[in-house]
This record gives sequence, structure tokens and C-alpha cells, in this order.
Amino acid sequence: MNQAEDHNLLEAIGGAPLAETANVVEVTDLHKWFGRNEVLKGVSMTVRQREVVVVCGPSGSGKTTFIRCVNHLEKIQQGRVMVNGHLIGYREENGRLVSDKEANIARQRREIGMVFQRFNLFPHKTALGNIIEAPVQVRGIPEDEAIEMGRKLLTRVGLAHKEDAYPAQLSGGQQQRVAIARALAMRPAVMLFDEPTSALDPEMIGEVLEVMKELAREGMTMIVVSHEMGFAREVADRIVMMDDGLIIEEGTPEHFFTNPQQERTKSFLSKIL
Amino acid sequence: MTGPRRSRSIGAPRPAYAVGVLVLACLLLAGCSNAKTSFQFQWPLFFQSIFGPDNQIKAGLVLTVTISIAAQAIGVVLGIFAALGKMSKVLPIRWFANVYVWIFRGTPLIVQLVFFYFGLGVAKIYGWPDLTIGPLTIEGAIQAGIFALGLNEGAYMAEIVRAGILAIDPGQMEAARALGMTPGKAMRRIVLPQAARVIIPPLGNEFNNMLKTTSLLFVIGVVELYSTFNIKQGEDYRPFELYLACAVWFLLLTTIWGFIQSWIEGRLARGTPGAASSSGPSLRARMLGLRNASGVGH
Repeated sequence: MNQAEDHNLLEAIGGAPLAETANVVEVTDLHKWFGRNEVLKGVSMTVRQREVVVVCGPSGSGKTTFIRCVNHLEKIQQGRVMVNGHLIGYREENGRLVSDKEANIARQRREIGMVFQRFNLFPHKTALGNIIEAPVQVRGIPEDEAIEMGRKLLTRVGLAHKEDAYPAQLSGGQQQRVAIARALAMRPAVMLFDEPTSALDPEMIGEVLEVMKELAREGMTMIVVSHEMGFAREVADRIVMMDDGLIIEEGTPEHFFTNPQQERTKSFLSKIL
Repeated sequence: MTGPRRSRSIGAPRPAYAVGVLVLACLLLAGCSNAKTSFQFQWPLFFQSIFGPDNQIKAGLVLTVTISIAAQAIGVVLGIFAALGKMSKVLPIRWFANVYVWIFRGTPLIVQLVFFYFGLGVAKIYGWPDLTIGPLTIEGAIQAGIFALGLNEGAYMAEIVRAGILAIDPGQMEAARALGMTPGKAMRRIVLPQAARVIIPPLGNEFNNMLKTTSLLFVIGVVELYSTFNIKQGEDYRPFELYLACAVWFLLLTTIWGFIQSWIEGRLARGTPGAASSSGPSLRARMLGLRNASGVGH
């Protein structure tokens, strides 16, 4: 395992970000409808500090919707999402939940890093520009400090030579590594990965997974929606299986791969392993 | 097909080509004067209006360009707000923006002009007094003209800006907001700069139109380029030579603007390789009627 200084991702952002609570993410009885279609039917999940949870399941099972609810990219209709001790997207008034102000939601999202399937880098900004944008514009960090941190991050995801490259000049794997660095630059308490490798050519998946494994080893709290079972086996503390809007099984990788209880899990694993 | 000629058939030609065509056209028209007609062309009057413009023509030119720039600037700002308004989650804002666009796109500009200048004036709602800023005095009619042109332009720009914003991948807004930006900041820092690249070609087209549309201001008594020539032809009744010269001046303005526009687009394309491919030369050529600048291709 390469723990050399030049790979240390969290050191680049000034050490592991402080989580304020033992449970970084607490989702309780989450329900989500798209119109009349209930895509999440009461999902609860707790993620402790430094824990890595991999969420898998067939397409349409609601796993991407679930992770998007955690940082309120999707409105929820019932239940609650707490991150780092803060209620996300809503505030409590007389025991009822009401939609929070956009400014508050934005503030809460600083604590939550998100990596998208399609990278979503800003095409009009360079690799370094993408990374420093939010620290400077949102956190108000002085630009030279942000640049210094951004360069460190780029070095540690192996892209020091690409700081002036625009996203269109980078391969998919390189773009996704920049996207991870961009999310990390906000010093989030938890990182969400929404199928981070499924839009990549097969030969580029490895380089992205390496960065994610490194991050996991350094103790970043992570929720990863992925079908990369090798990754799950290696770094996950817990694997969660979703089907039809519900968590149907969860456990350690050993339990999950050697002794799954649900028929649905068994058949799913047999198809993707 | 005839190779290089064909690729330039869409819009403004090269400078040398343009001058050639104009000279040829003038010679042809000059030839007409030899025909058996009772009318004698006074070409010196035409050429003098082009190559030795008097102070009236110069003043008209300056006014036309100034009004165009001011009205277009107002139009762009209003267009951005109207576009955001049309996409707002707040119903009254959406309603207001829609009504604004509906009215100003649905009524003739000339009616808007006379209504704002004469209508508001006579009704004693606003009399358009002259405005003095430092050494500069702006006539009321010019103010009214800029105001009406700008309002009208804003309604058209609204659709252009909205289309530009909608052309941007929603993932961009999501990524910005996931990083903790408020919707406003995400719009300003991430979406609008990208939308600008989509908006620039049709915006250039709008400005081309604006340069010519200022001629309507003659109805409220603004002595811009067209009005200047109109007055001149009234004095010595030489409509053929003078209106032709007027047309040449407008053609010159729009042609110069065409070159500025393609230069701007070339620069935008250079700065950001990612976006250049999304609005390729064919789109530009279609929207702007510009030649395919050699610098655009990748």
C-alpha cells in the first residue's frame, strides 16, 4: 500500500475534516416520490465517522436517488436526512418540517462532497480553476491559499501536469480525478460518489478507483453507489443492497459475498460477479 | 460546385470582394445615366456623401452607433433578467416576465416609440426633458428612443438568453450547488458564462438588426443617420443619390460589425476548447450570416 506523502489526499486539504458528530450521516425513514411513483419507500441508514458504505442494487432500485437526497439535490416527501448533525433541506417548525432557505441549504452542502457519474466539471474553467472555484467563491478562502491547496490536490490525484488543461482536454478518468479533487477542496465531512466509474472506459476505471481507495484508507467518510465489487470487497466497511426503493440487505463484505441471506441479493451478485 | 466561392455564399463577403461588388454596382448604375432618361444622376453628390461626409452625416453616424450600443446594452441586461424571470419558481415573477415579453414582441416597435415619446409626453406622465450629464446634453427624444429600443430589444433577448441557459447541461447547475453555491451564484459563476458562448452569435445578429432599426427613430425626430439623409434629400430633392449613400453607410456599419463579431467569436472559441465544438461554424454561420472564419475550425 502506497502511503507515501505525495499520495496523501487529506493532508493536502489540511488533515481529515472534522466531523462534529459520531454519526456523520443519519437517514431516517426516507420516502421519495416522482409524481405517483414511489422510488424510495422508507430508507434508513447511518454512516459513522471514517466509515465507507457501498450501495449496490439493480438499476431502478433507487440507489442514485437515495444518494442525491443526502445532499438535497432531490426533495424528499417524508423522513429526515441529517449530515454532521444538521437537518438537510428542511428545518423544524412546531414539530413539522418545512423547506429551508436556499442559502441555508447551500451552507449545509459545503459539508457534503459529491462526485457525479458524468463528472460535471465546469468546461469554462481549467482543472485548477475547477478546484479553487468553490473554496474561493463559497468558503471565501484567499485565492493564493486555494491555489496552493488545489495544486497539492492535483499532484496527489496524479494530475500536477494538467493544472492548466480544460476538461475537454482531459480523458474521462482524468476528469473524474479532478472532480474528486474539486469535491475534496471544500473539506467535506462526507463524500458521496454516484456511480463514479460507470461513465468511464474500462481502462480508466482503475485510476479513479485507486484515488477512491486511497481516500478510504485515509479515513474519509464515504457513501459510494457503485457496482465495482472489487472496490467494495477491498475498502467497504459495509455493503448495502437496495431493491425497489428499499434496503433489503446490508453487512460486511465477508457476510455479503460469502453468505448473503436474501434470494434477491444472491441473484444480483451472481449476475455482476 | 465552385469551391471557395460557395463556402462564402452565406453572408458578408471578404473586404476586397465587397468593395469590388460595390464599385461594379456603381459603374452599372452610372451606365444607366447614359440611357435615354430625363433623369441626370449626380454622382459627385453620392461619392461626396460617402468619401467626404459633412458634419451632419458624421453626427448622424455617431448618433446611430451610440444609440445602438446603448439600446443593445439595455436590451441584454433586460433580456437576462426577463429570461431568469421566465424560469423563476416564483409565479408573479414568471407572470411579469411573460407579460413583458408578450407585449413588446407583440406590438410594432414604431408604435412603442411614438407611444413612449408622444403618448407619455402629452399625457404628462413623463415629458422627456433633456438630460445633462457633465458636458453632455442628451435630448429627450434620444432618451425616449434608447428607452423604447432597449425595452423592445430586451423582449427578444429574453428568448435568446433563455435558450442559451437551457442549452447548458443541468449537471452544471447541480455540480455548482453540490459545492455549496446558492442558485444565484451558480447562475452567475457557472451557468451564465457558459450560456454566453451560446448567446453571442444570435446577440451579434440582434446588434446588426439594431444598427438598422435605429432608423425608425426618425418618427420621434431623432436626427440619426437615416433622418440626416432624409432631411438632405428634402432640401435638394436628390433621393436616388442620397438614399443610396445612406444605404452604403448602413452597409458599412453592419459589415464592420460582422468582422468585429467574428473576431469576438474566434476569441471565445480559443479561450475554451470544450465549448468550441458545441457551437461549431455551421451554427454560427446560420445564426449570424457570417462567413466561416478560418480560425473557427478545429
